[in-house]
Amino acid sequence: MPLETEARAELRALVADLEPNDGKLMGALHRMQHRYGYISREALEVIAEQLDMFPAHVYGAASFYDEYRLEAPPETTIRWCSGPACRLENANGIRDAVLATLDLKELGERTDDGRIEMVNGQCNGTCEQAPMMWIEWPMERRRRAVGKLTAVSAIRMARAIRDGESFTEGHETVF
Amino acid sequence: MASRSRKDTKLSSDPAQIKATFEKLRDPAIAEYLAWRVPLRPRIDVAIDTSSLASGAIATQAAIERIASERNAAVDLGRNHGYGMQWLQPLVTITWPDGTSVIYGPVTADDAAVIVDEATGRESAASALAIGVLAGERVGVSSIRDHPFFSEEPAERRLTARIGLTDPELIEHYIGSGGWAAFARVLYREMQPAGVRQELISGSHGGRGGGGFPAGVKWNFLAGAPDPERYMICNADEGDPGAWVNRVVMEGDPHLLIEGVTLGGFATSAQRGFIYIREEYPLAVERVEQAIRQAEEAGLLGDNILGSDFSFQLEVVKGAGSYVCGEETGLISSIQGQRGQPRIRPPFPAAVGVFMKPSNVSNVESCAHVPLVMQHGHEWYREYGTEAMVGTRLYSFSGDIPYTGFMELPFGAPMKELLDSCGGITHGAELKTIHSGGPLGSLVPASALPTLILENSSFAPYDAIMGSGGIVWVSDRTHLVIINEFLSAFVEEESCGRCTTCHGGNQRMTEIFRRIMDGRGRREDAFNLKLIDDVLQQSNCVHGQFSPKPMRNLLQYFREDFDTLALERRDPTLTIPAMTTFQVANPADLKIEDAAAICPTGAFRGREGFRTIDDAACIRCGACAEVAPGAIVREAKQLAPAPVA
Repeated sequence: MPLETEARAELRALVADLEPNDGKLMGALHRMQHRYGYISREALEVIAEQLDMFPAHVYGAASFYDEYRLEAPPETTIRWCSGPACRLENANGIRDAVLATLDLKELGERTDDGRIEMVNGQCNGTCEQAPMMWIEWPMERRRRAVGKLTAVSAIRMARAIRDGESFTEGHETVF
Repeated sequence: MASRSRKDTKLSSDPAQIKATFEKLRDPAIAEYLAWRVPLRPRIDVAIDTSSLASGAIATQAAIERIASERNAAVDLGRNHGYGMQWLQPLVTITWPDGTSVIYGPVTADDAAVIVDEATGRESAASALAIGVLAGERVGVSSIRDHPFFSEEPAERRLTARIGLTDPELIEHYIGSGGWAAFARVLYREMQPAGVRQELISGSHGGRGGGGFPAGVKWNFLAGAPDPERYMICNADEGDPGAWVNRVVMEGDPHLLIEGVTLGGFATSAQRGFIYIREEYPLAVERVEQAIRQAEEAGLLGDNILGSDFSFQLEVVKGAGSYVCGEETGLISSIQGQRGQPRIRPPFPAAVGVFMKPSNVSNVESCAHVPLVMQHGHEWYREYGTEAMVGTRLYSFSGDIPYTGFMELPFGAPMKELLDSCGGITHGAELKTIHSGGPLGSLVPASALPTLILENSSFAPYDAIMGSGGIVWVSDRTHLVIINEFLSAFVEEESCGRCTTCHGGNQRMTEIFRRIMDGRGRREDAFNLKLIDDVLQQSNCVHGQFSPKPMRNLLQYFREDFDTLALERRDPTLTIPAMTTFQVANPADLKIEDAAAICPTGAFRGREGFRTIDDAACIRCGACAEVAPGAIVREAKQLAPAPVA
């Protein structure tokens, strides 16, 4: 048994009430991500111990799901809505314009300075706002929905985010 | 988890005692709810739901709060859920002391003052924003039930009866408006689990997940399982892009869902339940979890509910962005803490489900209708719908229409009239296809519209499915293959990876669509897509089996569009990048410089007044044409047609 560090004790405390074989893995992973913004290797190990699973099993499950982060999040995430209503309103053109503005080749990448990433987002049924994106600050647990975009407004927004300017587009929503 | 085994027989506790316990809970709730419905002074409720938040409901709420407090206005502030007209969000409801409620929208922060004026008695201060009367009467405003968007809804809403008329975050409002009464009555009338299931079967209550399989029959399978330890699972992993009907139930009336799942637990003698909610619905997760806590505190969940012999533990499991977890065995794997991979059936979940124990997986709406059937009886339930599909169900409408939102419709509602309710097709375009059933669904040709009704059998002749409630109207303004590429890439990305047919087949299908869109279509593409179709159908679960459906519909109903794109390499809609170019039509236009400045790739060449666009650098985002309409135009790009063999 390795020496218990303070950090590890904190991780352990976060999942201490969860029982093995009780459907608690998804929740344990969410708790870690909610607290730290991602699920570190150490967190995976702590969960494995707590839930009496092999670390490989926990890693296998965690890596299956798109929304679990296994590395620290960037400052800003641009989540591009890929839904059908958005596609009918030039969402592809908007996606390509934002990628180009940030000098990214495809969704899932981060800017060279590591500050910004752009990812594929799923429809949540606010299609009256199509085409839309969500701008997220994972470490602040904050998200803004930015709807009724045009290529122009999306480029301006991406430039502002890239240049570190304050951001007031869209509306605060639940993270 | 300590689980007690229960037999499908009688309850030992005293019915009169159960009834009295419930009444003690109910009576103060009725008083509290009435005081809210008929308040002492006007109240302004801002709709708080995922849709309103995206439209700025928080800012609206804050502005109303600020103005009401600045003026020391005699109003209260509250919250409800949007009624369904999502294009008019943020929605706000004012309720006056006579119980009259009127819905207004879109109410932005700038409109806060007129809303406070209207609430405090300055008649018609906000009349321009009035949409309809929700309760009571108000001069000059017609009933919301007469709103054209709801013309195909039944006279009264059923599943969504509380939407707009309660605060979804308060269990008192639910109980005070008749909630939990159906369940309490089942207990104090000593109804047996089989009786509940029979009532559903008598009502022909079909599952709302898509298949329409009778819920009562499905619950019979679990009730008949030999193992007494069993699970009732609610599938709230609503992943079809363009469908958000489960979200409306969970955010708008979460207690209804919880009562429904608890009735499911009772009807199948399950001791424990899970509601598996997709990660993309954080507000639904919050509200359902809160509703569960409130029900536990009220003694409506947990051990010995209302002092009866029945115990039921319910919890939420939050997904993490995997579409295939909406398949019932994938969902079970996920709850167990595994990769969300579906497995081969049989054994079916009723025999081997979560933790290897008998389980039932039912859709949100399948569960949420149950308290209504139990409260009003199966004959009431049968009043709407068709012979084959009984009752009402929620539908969400989006796409190339002006009026995006949700409606509660009887099965059998005519699609042609529904398109009118949605305001017809926008941009002066024509309806091209009806996209129903999500990525594993269909592209129904527009020619079907006159006779198409909301019933599975009406969609079936088109090799189509109605699906789980999401209807996307697609016009001829966008090339259909853009939608096919999206659906195909979606199923590829969301394949669990177990079957090579599925992950490999969908990968190939996506590659072919992308190559065609890139202007490199080949003669053999249609043939190969059909081959992929055959292969995909050999997959183990519906994810692979149904994934070629939209492509099959494309080739069957829109072959000409496909061939023009793949073989002639032409795109008449001018929406596919490789087959279009942006050109400077009027270099002298003063807006050209702004257009050059917005270009994200710096594709403008030449000096001011002589600008051209470098086609190789242009990514066809269209920003320049938005800035300088008319001066910059999108034109067809001539490509050599596909070579013959």
